[in-house]
Amino acid sequence: MESVASTVLSAGARETAVRSARRLDRRRMLFWVLPPVAWFSVFMLIPYALLLYTSLGKVEDMRFIPGLSLDNFIRVFTVDPYLGVILKSARIGLMTAVFSAVVAYPLAFFLAFHVRSSRFKFLIYLLVIVPWWASYLVKAYAWKTILGSGGILNVALQKVGLTDEPVRIFLYNEFSVVMTLTYIFTPFAVLSIYAQLERIPTSLIEAARNLGAGGWMIFLRIILPISVPGVVAGSIITFSLAFGDFVAPVLVGGPESVMVSNVVINLLGVAFDWPLAAAIGLVIITLGLLLISASGWLEEKTQTRF
Amino acid sequence: MTSGIELKNLRKTYDGHGQGAWAVDGVDMTIGAGRFITLLGPSGCGKTTTLRMIAGLETPTSGQILRDGVDITDQPVTDRDMRMVFQDFALFPNMSVEQNVAFGLRVRRMKGRYSEAEIRKRVYQFLDLVHLADHAAKKPHQLSGGQKQRVSLARALVTDPQIVLFDEPLGSLDASLRKIMQIELIRIHRELGKTFIYVTHDQDEAMAMSSSIAVMRGGKVMQFGSPREIYDRPANRYVASFIGHAHIVDARMEGRDAEGSVLRVGNGQRIRIANDNENAAVGQTVGLMLRAEDLSFEKAGADTLGGCVVDSLYRGEYVEYVVELDGNAGVVHLHARTDLPALDQGAPVALRVNPHKAHVLVQ
Repeated sequence: MESVASTVLSAGARETAVRSARRLDRRRMLFWVLPPVAWFSVFMLIPYALLLYTSLGKVEDMRFIPGLSLDNFIRVFTVDPYLGVILKSARIGLMTAVFSAVVAYPLAFFLAFHVRSSRFKFLIYLLVIVPWWASYLVKAYAWKTILGSGGILNVALQKVGLTDEPVRIFLYNEFSVVMTLTYIFTPFAVLSIYAQLERIPTSLIEAARNLGAGGWMIFLRIILPISVPGVVAGSIITFSLAFGDFVAPVLVGGPESVMVSNVVINLLGVAFDWPLAAAIGLVIITLGLLLISASGWLEEKTQTRF
Repeated sequence: MTSGIELKNLRKTYDGHGQGAWAVDGVDMTIGAGRFITLLGPSGCGKTTTLRMIAGLETPTSGQILRDGVDITDQPVTDRDMRMVFQDFALFPNMSVEQNVAFGLRVRRMKGRYSEAEIRKRVYQFLDLVHLADHAAKKPHQLSGGQKQRVSLARALVTDPQIVLFDEPLGSLDASLRKIMQIELIRIHRELGKTFIYVTHDQDEAMAMSSSIAVMRGGKVMQFGSPREIYDRPANRYVASFIGHAHIVDARMEGRDAEGSVLRVGNGQRIRIANDNENAAVGQTVGLMLRAEDLSFEKAGADTLGGCVVDSLYRGEYVEYVVELDGNAGVVHLHARTDLPALDQGAPVALRVNPHKAHVLVQ
């Protein structure tokens, strides 16, 4: 009897011990979970909530009046020029992404397959990222001096004799905006394409050559398909950065090349229409989420498993 | 149709000035059509570099590669019509098994040779050969190591090459799978009758599969011969100790007549063996190669070697005795039946040497 009782007792004690251990565990868990949750709340959840709150209200006599109206969202889609500006920004972003990929691919390819010396490889790598040590503004200004009527490009054209007077089509239009953005964001495309190309083992190319394949076939059938996720990832980065840019349109863009960030800045700083700016922001964030999900899916879909 | 390969004083250095270490240092070899030749040696012996030069993936620093008498040293890799099976399989990860195998049939040089229907038929014919027809739609990452290697083999064979090159193809497989693949390779070699040139560091693999083995070391071929020649009559001490587990004891050639040679082992004991090395002169100091399976316990008497047991290891199939020979001659190993009474450490023993298997090494 006694032994049975002691067993029961000890079992009960054990249960208590387990429970208290669990409680301790939970407390410790809280300690680890709290900081990220707090960070997420302060920097993400609350700002987004504020954005939503603002977008549902309106401004009267320069004062914000809270509300629950979808008017601002309707304005984004119906009143000129908001939807048009969003679409134009997307077009500029897309062009930047495409041009960056086109410019970046050969460089990444060269870096991955033709540079054997690791020191030379590092040097090129450095040259690709070194422009990022200079301020974005400086680089945008640099393009102004290259493309302007007194700029290097025009001087060169006149010297060569292709034209008698400065050509004005280079600057203050969509072309110059895309050109500048492409120049500035191409390093991101280079790095992401290079990272993907680097994964391709040399033996794959040797095997293809051994089977009698020429350079183009190896590129089209093996290298290009494997590198698609790198191109997609790079394009997402360049697209997003270009889409939300507001410096290039101001410095090198013309009156026609106003982009969505410029509009938002104007609504905030000049027109004091915070609710509409918030609504545009939310529309863009939603579009961004859709885009990133789609590209994530595409990246996953095209990713080659080795 | 198959073809043979001839290597003439083939050399390769990775040092641009041709002064550094030679990865391959003067390889001469004639590989007959339809043979299964293995380049065997430890890592860094130049076997893979030799194979890659034959394939055209490396350019020789000097020397020649002939194929059926025609110099192909400078022929581009894409034109060589030799297929290589890589150690890491080198399957195209973005293509299915079927597309991988069909790849070599779709290259420009093959254009017009096969219709799409014929390509499909041929691909399946070779997937059948390697027992993988059921896996045609899979991607390489869905296959096991052995399956990947078989795809890589089918991809190489489907184009009907005259020569197939293997760069340690079984190196990344586990031991049991390796045995199965060895048997597969022998079967496929027999069925297709192609010239196989095979690189490995695994001597069992080389012995089991090859019609000839080239034992390499430091960029040079130490010996080129049939597995039996290499095992029984190694050209030098290096080959003797690399292949099997030969033990070499010090000896001196005392005399020779038509029936055989008399050797003095260590500083005293004499034994008589059959003649097997004409290069050994009477009076010369030589190495006597004694393999465990060529020795047996015997009553002490003429033509036996005395010694004492140093160690014994129970191996299950047999007991392995380590015996130190009298007169500082050296140590040999011997396999004894497990049902015989066990010998203690230090027990004096007499060994009979199979006179036809003991081998005299000059170098």
